[in-house]
Amino acid sequence: MAALKIANSEFTSRLFVGTGKFASNDIMARAIEAAGTQMVTIALRRVDIENDNDNMLAAIDRKKCQLLPNTSGARDADEAVRLSRLARAASGINWVKLEVTPDPYYLLPDGSETLKAAEVLVKDGFIVLPYIHADPILAKKLQDVGCATVMPLASPIGSNQGIKTKASIEIIIEQATVPVVVDAGLGAPSHAAEAMEMGADAVLVNTAIATATDPVQMARAFKLAVEAGRIAYETGLPPKHTAASASSPLTGFLRNE
Amino acid sequence: MSEILKINGQEKTFEEGLPATLSELLENLKIDAATVVAEIDGQIVERKDFAQTNLTAGQSIELIRFVGGG
Repeated sequence: MAALKIANSEFTSRLFVGTGKFASNDIMARAIEAAGTQMVTIALRRVDIENDNDNMLAAIDRKKCQLLPNTSGARDADEAVRLSRLARAASGINWVKLEVTPDPYYLLPDGSETLKAAEVLVKDGFIVLPYIHADPILAKKLQDVGCATVMPLASPIGSNQGIKTKASIEIIIEQATVPVVVDAGLGAPSHAAEAMEMGADAVLVNTAIATATDPVQMARAFKLAVEAGRIAYETGLPPKHTAASASSPLTGFLRNE
Repeated sequence: MSEILKINGQEKTFEEGLPATLSELLENLKIDAATVVAEIDGQIVERKDFAQTNLTAGQSIELIRFVGGG
């Protein structure tokens, strides 16, 4: 498999893993290991000053995994920029998964606010990976302002519906000059394999792994699916035909015709 | 005399007077500074500056850290 290059970094794994919703830090750490991922997303929240807070970062092996802070919770461009700067101050990392989701029910991203924030953040030295609807025009605009990837959604976050935006993601992949990461809604390894077969450069999975009965085994299943899909894409899938084409030789000795 | 800081949106009263610095505030709240980023009145304070950052009554302080997220 070819390496994935984002900005000036190379990744041999094409599976990004989100760290939300895991039952414990231990299960999260073992799922990250089983996924073989080199990119994990994290979020920022207020410290609960009345209770002990555990430090989930300590459970992530930062030699193996790049941390990708997200801007979840941001409802407009200003909030996303503020969260990005806080994340950079907290971690020293200038990478950010830019997400602006004003509507908590479907959590669909606001394209115009995302573009506005992306312009500010790129100028401020961030490596910006924006989460977007599968909108090929917006993807091009984000690429043009200097985003390092585009991350179109397959279906709403955490919905496990698979790739409902296929035709648009195919156009984004065809047109993009930056890596395309299919993010959100991938509920089964087969969905991830499908995205990779389509030519996506990587996928991001959280809910389907974290909420599985056995997150460690599910992480492994996604790892294998992503690799299988990528290898199939690099090899080139055969064309489809309407009629059958026999796999076995049709010897005629059973009948005298 | 008692003084007030607004911490993460909630007013907190310090009966014995304010902690002198941001570092002392975190100690007072039993929060590990190594995992926290702070904002005072909307301005980010880098962790290396916590010990030199003096506090004054009425400031609005945000204490933030990383959690799991997708």
